Amino acid sequence: MDARIDRRTALAGLGALSGLSLFHSRAHAAVRFRITPRLDGAARTLILFQLSGGNDGIETVVPYEEDAYYRARATLTRKKDELLKLDDYRGLHPALKNLRTAWDAGRLAIVEGIGYPRPNRSHFESLDIWHTADPRGRAAGLGWIGKLCEAAWPAERNPNLVVHIGPNVPYSLHSQHHRPASFVDPEGYRWIGGERGAAAFRKVGEGAAAMEERTSTLEFLRRVVAASQTSSDEIRRAVAAYETDVAYPDEVLAQTLHHVAALVKGGIGARVISVELGGFDTHADQRERHDELMTILDGALGPFLADLGRSEAGKAAVVLVFSEFGRRVAENGAIGTDHGVAGPMFVLGHDIKGGLHGKHPTFETLDDGDLIHTTDFRSVYAGVIEGCFAVPHQKVLGAEYPIVKVV
Amino acid sequence: MNTLLLALLCPLAQEAAPGVPWNARTVEHLYNRAGFGASPEEIARALEGTPEALVDALLAGFAEDERTFPYEVIHRPVLEDFPNQHDYFDACAERRRRERLVMADYAAWWVEAMVASHDPLREKMVVFWHNHLVSSAADVKSYVAMIRQNELFRREALGSFRRLLHAIVSDPAMMVYLDNDQNMVGNPNENLAREIMELFALGIGNYTEQDIKEGARALTGWKTDDIATEPHLLPKLHDTGEKTILGRKGNFDAGDLVDILLDQPACPRFIAFKLLRYLEGVEPEAARLAEYADFLKASDFEIAPFLRKLFLDPRFYREEIVGHRIAGPVEFVVGSARRLGASFPPKLLWLAAAHTGQRLFEPPNVKGWEEGEAWIRTSSLLGRGNVAGILLGITPPSEVIEEVRSDGLSLMDDSKVSGYVPEISMTALAQRLGARGEGELVDGLAEQLLAVPLSAASRTVLVEFLAGERGRLGLEEAKLLGAGEKTEDLLRRLAHLILSLPEAQLN
Repeated sequence: MDARIDRRTALAGLGALSGLSLFHSRAHAAVRFRITPRLDGAARTLILFQLSGGNDGIETVVPYEEDAYYRARATLTRKKDELLKLDDYRGLHPALKNLRTAWDAGRLAIVEGIGYPRPNRSHFESLDIWHTADPRGRAAGLGWIGKLCEAAWPAERNPNLVVHIGPNVPYSLHSQHHRPASFVDPEGYRWIGGERGAAAFRKVGEGAAAMEERTSTLEFLRRVVAASQTSSDEIRRAVAAYETDVAYPDEVLAQTLHHVAALVKGGIGARVISVELGGFDTHADQRERHDELMTILDGALGPFLADLGRSEAGKAAVVLVFSEFGRRVAENGAIGTDHGVAGPMFVLGHDIKGGLHGKHPTFETLDDGDLIHTTDFRSVYAGVIEGCFAVPHQKVLGAEYPIVKVV
Repeated sequence: MNTLLLALLCPLAQEAAPGVPWNARTVEHLYNRAGFGASPEEIARALEGTPEALVDALLAGFAEDERTFPYEVIHRPVLEDFPNQHDYFDACAERRRRERLVMADYAAWWVEAMVASHDPLREKMVVFWHNHLVSSAADVKSYVAMIRQNELFRREALGSFRRLLHAIVSDPAMMVYLDNDQNMVGNPNENLAREIMELFALGIGNYTEQDIKEGARALTGWKTDDIATEPHLLPKLHDTGEKTILGRKGNFDAGDLVDILLDQPACPRFIAFKLLRYLEGVEPEAARLAEYADFLKASDFEIAPFLRKLFLDPRFYREEIVGHRIAGPVEFVVGSARRLGASFPPKLLWLAAAHTGQRLFEPPNVKGWEEGEAWIRTSSLLGRGNVAGILLGITPPSEVIEEVRSDGLSLMDDSKVSGYVPEISMTALAQRLGARGEGELVDGLAEQLLAVPLSAASRTVLVEFLAGERGRLGLEEAKLLGAGEKTEDLLRRLAHLILSLPEAQLN
């Protein structure tokens, strides 16, 4: 359903920014907002990476010793020798070469059998459950990152505390006091209207940032006006100042992760950065589409991990890769797969606990044709919340979960 | 809307229908919600008549005759026709390019219709159906099919949801978008069955997973042709067995499934909810929703009577509704174009809306664009200001819109877009408003360009800006409008600020 992978890269041509105006903006912003200082070198940044549409976990981490897998999928199955073997049972999709390397270096954790009780097979309802960490979905209120911000940084008002790169901001970032900044193209992320016009536009937002509670839609808008200017100044500065010798592919996702690397290192105070890759709803002709997605994913994550390794802030970053559900075990009549339940999550980073976590779901007993989850996704959230931000996970998730110690 | 002008144009407003407050503000509100904003003349005319007269006119449309968009159907090349395989691939690529051009032309034609507003309510409702029964050109990849789907929405925009839902299950674009052309007996594909229950007819919680599986069987057997325009049922691929859907048993086909869905009490509730939220900008409370759902059911899903009831309901004009709805990108762009009162290249307006988050014919997913506050992000808010800057000639389109810069699709061979020069005179507008002095000028332009009143805080900033700039130019306040190009440049920059305000996002 998502057209992003079909679209031309929209993020090329960085570096054409005027240094002068940027420095001017930065000084201005620093006066008006308390920008979170770079904590120590070990301050964590959480990078949320959503695979939208329901990634087929079975074709991502392939259980190549499982006869039931071959029986259920007449045309989609892989030959064993194509796979990038992890052990004598699992092999990564053949395109995931960089992830295979990360696995050896202890920089990839795979949490198996992820799901939640009473699985919902609607994209939107299931995403809402993932985004709120609550079976009620949006009715539960804030997104889980919004709740994390309340717990970890209650007084912080830096508009770049939480940043989404891409057109569709996920509900996980939904918050009253820590509304996320978002952009697609850092170069175009500014108000263009001359120096004095910009100064007037800045005044329009003034006074709004201090407001705690919204009083009207108009005040909400005024706050976004204020946040947008500070956010764009800081983000363009960080991206323009970023230098790396790591080569990223000329493709949207890879360029997006390049910007993430710039923000992680750039000292803008971002603690959570969110990105998305869409197109995983492979009801028909899955093979070609899924292969392409895996290639894009691996091609972007490889250089990104290498790039993160070049700074202390980058080494402390943690990438959480998830999808709203896995897919049905049996393929359908269209050489594709319909919505299923359990699937794996990936955690990547230089300072994480790599290897296998969770428990592989069984193929022997299925729930109406679907893998039954073994590990609640909130257990992984709990591991990230405590491991990255030293906040008791109950404060964010509203209940206690067994912790999967990925960090 | 300008009250100075109004006072001149309509000294005596007609008495309102019982309960409906009828004044410049409520007329503008109706025009904002049932269309894309009103001109001072339109408001004056409406105030001479009754609410019923305007609502009926909006339902009927103001157009003399229906506009149609002529386009070419480009068939898929057939491999056998090409001795050389490379030529075949070239022909396929050329077809894709031409189809994209047709799509862009059609999108621009649609936006142009919104700006012209000969039939504003219909256009507004076509946007609604496009965002309710969602397909995306990015996945369908047959732009002809997308146009035909849009033509269906145009026909039924104010017609019957019953007919719409029946038509959409065999709509070729939808068939491709939700893979129903790959749904066959023995090998069902659940995609359309799930979305028709969850997103098109009932809403979550009003069916089971088993209903989806059985519903998918009822939808089996449909195919379309090479350009995704001719839907047909292949009996061999259709599941003729008994199905149980929402408690009913039978050898159901696609039409039966739709009738079963329409019979569910959840269906009128779901559609009424979405219509009320779209037009009022807030979610309806329970009693109000029940009233409108019952009405929709009783009128057998006819849309026009529903809209008539709503627009003549005094609660549609209550304080929390008027001027508090966040305009979507298309509404922002079209509304700004209309309020500036000049002629703009429709393709530029289409790209401007896409740049700020609403690319017509390419909703982000089957649930469509999320509306309300979700339209407003730090980036889209800055983007709206930049789009206003383009319309006013302050910023060249290529500096803001990536597609104009790269023009990889050759969409802009039309130099009206890439080399856009506004045909606009803010000076003439200011003179027409009869504004004297900085305060009056700010008030007059703000009334002209905004759908809601200017706040005191914003007004202070604008007056200061205008005074500061006048000082830099060394102009006396009384001669502000008499400095030729300098005046025009200054007024455009003022208008740019006005269209970047928080107030400019509301309607």
